[in-house]
Amino acid sequence: MLLDYDRLGWLRVALVGFTAAVAAFLLLPVVFIVLLSFGSSRWLAFPPPGWTLKWYEQLFADPTWIDAALTSARIAAMSAVLAVVIGLFASFALVRGEFRGRQLLRGLLLTPMVLPVVVFAIAIYAFFLRIGLAGTTIGFVIAHTILALPFAIIPITAALEGFDKSIEDAAIVCGASPLQARLRITLPSIRIGIFSAAIFSFLASWDEVVVAIFMASPTLQTLPVKIWGSLRADLSPVVAAASSLLVGLTLCLMIVTALLRRKLSR
Amino acid sequence: MTRSFLSIRAVRKTFGAFVAVHDVTIEVPRGEFLTFLGPSGSGKSTTLYAIAGFQDPTSGDVLLEDKSLLAVPSHKRNIGMVFQRYTLFPNLSVAENVAFPLSVRRRPDAEVKRKVADMLALVRLENFADRHPGALSGGQQQRVALARALAYDPPILLMDEPLSALDKKLRQEIQAEIRRIHRETGVTILYVTHDQEEALHLSDRIALFKEGRIEQIGTGEDLYVRPASEFVAGFIGNSNFLPAEHLETAAGAATVRLADGSIVTGLTAAEAFSKGQKVRLMVRPEALSLAPGPASAALAVDIVDTAFFGDRRRVLARTASGDEIDVRPTSDTIDPAGAAAGSGQRIYFDPASAFLFPA
Amino acid sequence: MQGSSLRRGSIAGLTAGSGSALPALLLVGLFFIVPVVALLLRSVTDPEPGLQNYAALFGSGTYVRVFLNTFLVAAVVTAVTILVAFPVAWMLAIMPPAYGSIVFGIIILSMWTNLLTRTYAWMVLLQRTGVINRTLMGLGIIQEPLPLINNLAGVTIGMVYIMLPFMILPLVGTLRAIDPMTLRAAALCGASPFQAFRRILLPLSLPGIAAGGLMVFVMSLGYFVTPALLGGTSNMMLAEMIAQTVQSLLNWGLGSAAAFVLLVITMALYALQLRLVGARRTGGGL
Repeated sequence: MLLDYDRLGWLRVALVGFTAAVAAFLLLPVVFIVLLSFGSSRWLAFPPPGWTLKWYEQLFADPTWIDAALTSARIAAMSAVLAVVIGLFASFALVRGEFRGRQLLRGLLLTPMVLPVVVFAIAIYAFFLRIGLAGTTIGFVIAHTILALPFAIIPITAALEGFDKSIEDAAIVCGASPLQARLRITLPSIRIGIFSAAIFSFLASWDEVVVAIFMASPTLQTLPVKIWGSLRADLSPVVAAASSLLVGLTLCLMIVTALLRRKLSR
Repeated sequence: MTRSFLSIRAVRKTFGAFVAVHDVTIEVPRGEFLTFLGPSGSGKSTTLYAIAGFQDPTSGDVLLEDKSLLAVPSHKRNIGMVFQRYTLFPNLSVAENVAFPLSVRRRPDAEVKRKVADMLALVRLENFADRHPGALSGGQQQRVALARALAYDPPILLMDEPLSALDKKLRQEIQAEIRRIHRETGVTILYVTHDQEEALHLSDRIALFKEGRIEQIGTGEDLYVRPASEFVAGFIGNSNFLPAEHLETAAGAATVRLADGSIVTGLTAAEAFSKGQKVRLMVRPEALSLAPGPASAALAVDIVDTAFFGDRRRVLARTASGDEIDVRPTSDTIDPAGAAAGSGQRIYFDPASAFLFPA
Repeated sequence: MQGSSLRRGSIAGLTAGSGSALPALLLVGLFFIVPVVALLLRSVTDPEPGLQNYAALFGSGTYVRVFLNTFLVAAVVTAVTILVAFPVAWMLAIMPPAYGSIVFGIIILSMWTNLLTRTYAWMVLLQRTGVINRTLMGLGIIQEPLPLINNLAGVTIGMVYIMLPFMILPLVGTLRAIDPMTLRAAALCGASPFQAFRRILLPLSLPGIAAGGLMVFVMSLGYFVTPALLGGTSNMMLAEMIAQTVQSLLNWGLGSAAAFVLLVITMALYALQLRLVGARRTGGGL
């Protein structure tokens, strides 16, 4: 009866109450930061003494914020494209291939997700210092592609495992070449997985702080690095404005994802 | 001799030390409905995959109209196939699924359109052209798969247990459809199944597989009436086996002694037996009756149980030596009075309908 | 027997050997394996060959305290996360989807929101003059502001906040896989709700709790951002120490040695977690 929602009695009241409290806890910082960004207090007093848009004005007036955002977007887009393409090829080998060490390879390609980022960050930083890629866009993209790769491989392999190989065989018996069968049947069938991979890899790079802190140069810094710097200096409300825009972006991404999923999975 | 259509010649397939198919040879005339029947792992599907090009045989050859298929990649073999699982392309509508093989062959639009309409009419799904596979039942999906496989007029249609995912009622319905489509199109069909009833219902000929070899090939009636081995007799139809000792064979009629000491004579032997050799006597439940007929052999039994099924009666009997016998008298031999449970009864059969196999 | 299951070597299968994994393998090999191995080598070669970096690491009270503190924080965070996540996962597994999807939406929103944004919000919320202290004081519950930031409490709140989705989402899967019939049967057998929970529901969800908990523990061990911003100098964690050693002190040898220790612990626990999950998949118990 403990797994029958209608038969929990008083326990249900307690558990629903607890769940609501946790949901509120999860929502609290997100809502709070958005409210705060419109507050007029320089010292982040809450509730704010008045409402204002001046933090947003300051944000948009400062070219370093805009630069950082554009840099982040550029690096995240490139890393996501690379991670999805490389991950797609790798996923075919991981799901369809029959060779020794397939599980080992899978473990290896997923390791960057498990290894503490700080270890990878100082490793790749030292390596890039030596080969002259530190502080370059290429260096950023390579490091972020590696971190994004697991987030591309996991949804694509899941989609590929859920796609019956016989369907591809059927296309081939029907006269499609193996390449045609993949392009016209298999890829469209696993598009939800590919789409998820793109979103997750983009976010993996877009939100990445640790590698970015090491890799950033005065002329090349991503949005998280810019925020990190501001946080260490002081708790300026401009950061709240920037953060609120990021929350807005997340919401947009969630809505687009939900809509596309509904459309694609028709 | 006429030019052969599809020849499977000494096809052998090994996986490491395991031999999945042992030198299978079959000649298939044009337009035949041939079924590969057998338990799972008997090599029937592997043989089919060799024809489809999913697996290269270790040795042997597959020829279509005297040309070897082995060097031809699957997508150029021009063979139709319906799979065990539902393999409709999930991203395409029903009509687009049927059009797919034509579009990869770059046929003109008008022809594609006409052909798709014809095929959907053939499988009676004209009204489902714009649906997506997810919105179809399992039976409908397999009918679309059939339409797709026939859309490009392949000379051969392979069917790999296409009905195994369907429930019984639907299975019978689609069996009838397949028979009709075979009649209407005249396509040569190679059909794989492990269901003997399905094989008997559909096929012109049945090749019964066992452990990678063809145990017997012939019409359903051949296999039923003249089984070449105990395995065939056990796989096709129902059968009772009784241990016996061979006494002699004269003029093609064998005589044996059963475990209870009774002598039965006039039996058909599958091979030559020596005197005193242990054999097994096979008799079909339908060949047994509770009333004596002309030229009947008799068995002394206890009737353990009887059950009535409307069109027939089923009786479970046991011999003195403890062997259970399934008796299903045909309607003209139903004898309600003799069907009561009890000991010291007799059941009868015509020795000509019974077989002897080596023990 | 091998091959008896009629394994299908199929047409497309032949072209999809290991080859298409080559770009990924090159990328990860060249820019992940090589740098990490080079870093590890540095721990025994920088400034000179020998184990002096490890001796310094384990010989110094400061560094040992960082290790202990790291484990303490990870353990506390994991325990709190499990306790908070379980009831939520339980409800999500059986709630009517209309309400459940709202909670799922909130979880996803929180998870996808920029990490620094979330941490920043907690910095503001938890500070001495922050909303939480003011509210508690306004309600008369406390007289003096509680120290909620730059200490264990701050790190725990911030980390639990980040880890909750990683615990809740897999646990929902585990709990949904449990047949409600087993608990109905337990009730019919006379088990009180508490007995049914302790003897049926909890043991059945234990593999999920163990796997999720281990994952949270591993992630917490190597976490950098949140402890660095919400923790204090007296309870520094390993990741921050590594970053500081390399970035501020420029002591690459010592930093590499600490990184190696973190790597070994993480990978060992990860392997354990894989085995737990693997055992569950093949139907084995714990």
